[in-house]
Amino acid sequence: MNAAPILELNQVSKRFTWRLDIASRIANLMGAGLQERAVHAVDAVDLTIREGEVVGLVGESGCGKSTLGRIVAGIMDASAGSMKYRGKGLAEMTPEERHTCKLAVQMIFQDPYASLNPRMRVEDIIGEAPVAHGLIRRSEMGAYVEGLMRQVGLDPRYRKRYPHQFSGGQRQRIGIARALAVKPQFIVCDEAVAALDVSIQAQVLNLFMDLREQLGLTYLFISHNLSVVEHISDRVVIMYLGRVVESAPTEELFRQPNHPYTQALLAEAPRLVAERRDYTPIAGEIPSPLNPPPGCHFHPRCPHATQRCRSEAPALREIAPGRLSACHLNDR
Amino acid sequence: MSETATPTLQVENLETHFPTRDGTVRAVDGVSFAVAPGEILGLVGESGSGKSITGFSVLGLIDPPGRIANGRVLFKGEDITAAGESRLRQLRGARIAMIFQDPMMTLNPVLRIDTQMIEAVQAHQKISEAAARARAVETLQAVGIAAPEERLLAYPHQMSGGMRQRIAIAIALLHKPDVIIADEPTTALDVTIQGQILYEVRKLCRETGTALIWITHDLSVVAGLADRIMVMYAGRIVETGPVATVIERPQHPYTRGLIGSVPGALPRGKRLFQIPGMAPAPLNLPPGCRFKTRCSRADAACDSMPELADLAPGHAVRCFHPFDAAPISAAEVAS
Repeated sequence: MNAAPILELNQVSKRFTWRLDIASRIANLMGAGLQERAVHAVDAVDLTIREGEVVGLVGESGCGKSTLGRIVAGIMDASAGSMKYRGKGLAEMTPEERHTCKLAVQMIFQDPYASLNPRMRVEDIIGEAPVAHGLIRRSEMGAYVEGLMRQVGLDPRYRKRYPHQFSGGQRQRIGIARALAVKPQFIVCDEAVAALDVSIQAQVLNLFMDLREQLGLTYLFISHNLSVVEHISDRVVIMYLGRVVESAPTEELFRQPNHPYTQALLAEAPRLVAERRDYTPIAGEIPSPLNPPPGCHFHPRCPHATQRCRSEAPALREIAPGRLSACHLNDR
Repeated sequence: MSETATPTLQVENLETHFPTRDGTVRAVDGVSFAVAPGEILGLVGESGSGKSITGFSVLGLIDPPGRIANGRVLFKGEDITAAGESRLRQLRGARIAMIFQDPMMTLNPVLRIDTQMIEAVQAHQKISEAAARARAVETLQAVGIAAPEERLLAYPHQMSGGMRQRIAIAIALLHKPDVIIADEPTTALDVTIQGQILYEVRKLCRETGTALIWITHDLSVVAGLADRIMVMYAGRIVETGPVATVIERPQHPYTRGLIGSVPGALPRGKRLFQIPGMAPAPLNLPPGCRFKTRCSRADAACDSMPELADLAPGHAVRCFHPFDAAPISAAEVAS
C-alpha cells in the first residue's frame, strides 16, 4: 500500500500517575515512605496508518490498545510523543485546523448500552453533532438523520425513539450513524463488535466493510478477537503491555508470525475446526503494568527467553519489507 | 457416545417458564438431552436462546416466579425435579457443580479463599479442617495454580480475573462431582488464559470421568473442546450431534447461518454470511418453526412445528427442509 499516511504516531506514550494526596504526604512526613506510582499504559508507540487502510490493533486486556485508540481519537492527550494528521503535527496546527482534524477522526465504542445517552432520542443522538458543528442547519436535521439511519440499516421511522427501545445490534448501528454524522475520514472502532451475538456481529462487520467502500474510510480496528481482525484488516499490529511487539500485513502475520507472543496468541485462538487441541498452552499471565518486568516485557512467559531478553528491551525493527517485530531472536 | 452406558444426567422434555405481566415467557421449551460419564457436551446459542436457563434448571436454581413447568431431570436415574430442597442441597456442589461466567458470583469478596474452600469441603463431608485444607491445596494444584498455599491466604480482589476463575473451577471440583455445568466460564477472559483453562478442564474430565456441560455463545470454543454439540434457538434444540458433524456438515439452516457468520472461515474481506433480522421476542414467538422468519428455506410447511428428528445416528435436526450433509461452501455463504 503506497497511499499517503493519514495518521502518524511518533514515540507516543501515556502515563497514568497516582499522585500523593494530602493524607499520604502527611503520612510521608511521619516516615511512611509512600511514592508516586505510574502506569505506562502506552509506551513509546510508533504507528503509521495510510489513507484507506484498515489496521487491526490486537492485544489482551491491559495491553494499552484502548488507551492508544483514545489518544488517536483525540479523547485523551498523550503524555509524550507527537501525532501527525495528514502530514501536519497537531502541535503546529491552528485552532481551526485542529478542530477539522478532530471532526475527521471519530470513534465507535464497545458497549452499545453505555455509549448512548438514554435520555436522548435517536434523532438527537445522531443529529446533535453535525448541527453543533455547523455542517447542517437545524431545519435539515430530520432529513439528514433519516439518510444516515438508512445508510447504517436502521428504519428511519424509529428516529423519535429512545435507545432502550432498540436491541444491542441496532444500538451499535446508532453509534455508527452518530460517528458518521460529522463526515469523518478516519474511524477508531474500539471492540465495536465484541458485545454482539455472532449473527449480529456478522451484520455489523459487513456494514463496516460496505461503509469503507462507499465512503473511502480508514479504520483503526481495535479488538481482542483474532478472527474478526483477520477478516477485516489489511495490516495487524500486536501490542503487549504497552508496547507494539509486531506489525505486519494480515496474511503474512497469520501465515508466519514472528514474535513469540504473536505465535502464542495465534495458537490459543479458538478456531472453528472440530479437532482436539492437545498441546500445552503458554504459561503465566500478563504482568501488572504497574511493575512491568525489565527488558522485553514478554520474557517471563517466553519459551525462548535468553539473558539478553531479561535486561535489554528489544527495539521494533524491520525484519522484512512491511514487517516489524520487536524480538532479540531476530538478531541471530 | 455409546448408548449402553447409563447417562450421568438425563433431561427429559424440560420446560421452564417465567410468568410476566404480558404473558408467559417459555425460556426453555421441551429440551431433552443426556450426558454420559466423561462426556463433554457443548450447549451453544445466542443471547435469549435459553441455554443458560437450561443449565440453571438442572440445578434447580430458577428463582420464582420462574418455574420448571414440565419435564424431568434425572441424575443417575433419580428424578431431582421432584426432590426436595434438602436433597438438592446435598447434590449441588457435591455431585453436580456449576461454574458461572463471573467468578465473583461464586466467590465471597470479604472472605479469604481458604475460608471459602474449607467451608465448601466441610459442607458435604465430615472431615477435619486440616484434611479439608489439604484437599483445597490439591485441587488448586490440579487447575494449574502455582503456590497454592499462598493463594489460599489471599482475598479474591487480590487476584486477576483468570486466577479467580481458576479458583471458582477448583471449588467446583472439590468433591469430584459427576457433572459440571459451566456457563460461559471463559467468555470474560483473555485468549491465552482461556487456552490454559480449556486445556486443564479437558484434562480433568478425561482423568476423573466427570461429565461436562459447557454453555457458550462461541462455537469456536466448543469446536475444540466438546464431544457433542447441541444448538439452541428461542428455547428449543434445533440441532444436536457429534462435534465434527455439527461443525463441518450442519444441516439446520440456523446452524449453517451461525457457522457462516463466524469470520475466519472465508477469504479475508469477503462479505460474511448474515442471518437476516434478529431473534424473535420471547413473548412474541412465531407459531410453528421459530426460525422461519429469518430462514431462506421457509414455506407453508414451517407454520407447524417440526420435530427434532434423527437424520443419522446421534445427529438430530429440527427442520422440514434440512440442508444436505455437505460442508458449507463459499458459494453458499456468498449467495
